[in-house]
Amino acid sequence: MTPIVFAFKLLLAVPVALVLALTAIFYIWESGNTILYDSFAQKMFSGLENYGLLAIPLFMLTGEMMNEGGMTLRLINAARVFVGGLRGGLAYINLLANMFMAAIIGSATAQIAVMARAMTPEMEKEGYDRGFAAATTAAGGLLAPVIPPSMMFVIYGVLAQIPIGSMFLAGILPGLLMSASFAVVIFVIGIYQGFPKGDWFTKRESLRALLYCLPAALIPLAIIGGILFGIATPTESAAIASLIAFLVGWLVYGELKPQSLFRMFKRTAVNASMIIFMIATANVFGWVIIYEALPQKLAALITAFTRDPFVFLLIVNLILLCVGMLIDGIAAVILIAPILLPIAMNDYNISPYQFGVVMCINLVLGLLTPPVGVGLYIASSMSGAKPGQILRSLWPFLLAVALVLVLLSRFPWLSTALI
Amino acid sequence: MIGRLSAIWAQVELGLAAILAVSITLLILLNVVTRSAGAALFWVDELAIYAMAWMAFLGASAALHFGQSVAVTVVTDALPQPLQSAAAKLVDVIVLGFALFMIWTCWRWFSPLELARNGFDTAAFQSATFNFVYAEPTTTLGIRKYWVWSVMWLFSLGATLHSLANLLGQTTVSEESVI
Repeated sequence: MTPIVFAFKLLLAVPVALVLALTAIFYIWESGNTILYDSFAQKMFSGLENYGLLAIPLFMLTGEMMNEGGMTLRLINAARVFVGGLRGGLAYINLLANMFMAAIIGSATAQIAVMARAMTPEMEKEGYDRGFAAATTAAGGLLAPVIPPSMMFVIYGVLAQIPIGSMFLAGILPGLLMSASFAVVIFVIGIYQGFPKGDWFTKRESLRALLYCLPAALIPLAIIGGILFGIATPTESAAIASLIAFLVGWLVYGELKPQSLFRMFKRTAVNASMIIFMIATANVFGWVIIYEALPQKLAALITAFTRDPFVFLLIVNLILLCVGMLIDGIAAVILIAPILLPIAMNDYNISPYQFGVVMCINLVLGLLTPPVGVGLYIASSMSGAKPGQILRSLWPFLLAVALVLVLLSRFPWLSTALI
Repeated sequence: MIGRLSAIWAQVELGLAAILAVSITLLILLNVVTRSAGAALFWVDELAIYAMAWMAFLGASAALHFGQSVAVTVVTDALPQPLQSAAAKLVDVIVLGFALFMIWTCWRWFSPLELARNGFDTAAFQSATFNFVYAEPTTTLGIRKYWVWSVMWLFSLGATLHSLANLLGQTTVSEESVI
């Protein structure tokens, strides 16, 4: 009965967090373990007693500050210095700026919202197709949760009980690989469609753009440097990053008003609590997974089929693609990781870092695939292009990510080399 | 009446959650400063984690009022209008059921009646019920943990209020209140 109750509530559009809690409640009742009800609330609370989770509100705050502080335009201008003069310059600017942004923002949807507003009108003005402009931006947004920092990696690290800093490092090479594959896609499309010519900045303009961008560049330095050299925990580096973002936006760029600070904290509190609350209910849902021995049962099924980790990961990729189409991003990670990770680690000896990278990239892809594709709809509403129009230009990018996923599944060192 | 109460309480929850978000940021920054000065404060981490838990539960309750929760809407969006509103009502009923369940489990957990029956003597309460909710200490803060856990009451009661208002169709979400 429990799976039916679960599916019914999920499809009825009951909030995902409550679906998890209610399924646990039903399962406990069905299996007669009602003594567990007495510690139900305590179990929910204890799911949150995790130092790593503190990074979630702090990274969100950094994103808010960066947004209000006028850093986006400066980062785009800095990207122009490096690739602006190439044929199809703006498309590469878009990609490069997205890479910069990904090193500050940890959520794909947040990044797509900001960048679609900033980049698509400009690309359209210079003669790019609107759908292509929005598609490039949406694809670039996929880098946000792969290049550190990453909200998804924080959640995954908490669930998998592995150091979040190491998980961040695992994302660097795959993020660069994705960026490179996107650059190839843009180049190939350019050959067929013919892109407008770009303009290089003059030397003076270049220096100015780089100089203005310099303070903003402190943020990724603080985050990645702090973690890489073991100076700060991811949580601490998130707090430092938000402080820098505030100071730069307020004192250097003069665009962030201290009066709007409390509004930003409100938004941060709401958005962060939605995710963190899901972790709390996932903790009681964990009872279902453990008592039903779901991983073991599923493992028996899959190991009968293959013993090869690569084939296993390919199967997982297919399953996740389907899941990602229905459930978006972080909610899917919370649901899937506790079930599949034990199989990957115990039965196939796959590194939790490699598995996390493959899983998160795959599920983030779901943000751009209909029928449930929040990222796609955000890109559409911010750019004015219809979802179908975006998808027509988007599929080569999605294909590129799929290829990267196969590579990441085949070669573990792509994820584990930097740790 | 319930609609207004729900709206006001949601604003309170939101304000408190925002203040907690501020405190989390300040606490972690304090941690960075004191640690690099070689005088780390041992209680900061635990306090920051509790602030986050409080923020999450208050925010989650407020999210029920603002209708901002993450949900899978692919099926319900495809339904014809009358069925869609029926489904939405059913969701409201389910959420209210959950909220009431939470009150009930908090009641079982804290057993206030049993505590009163033992004259609010926690030692007598423990030996009578083997429920150690009032004995559990926090690791570094020097207060009993039930103070921290009490946010589950706030969450349960808030969720009940908001879901009741939703079910009665009295929830009014004005533009500015959604921030």
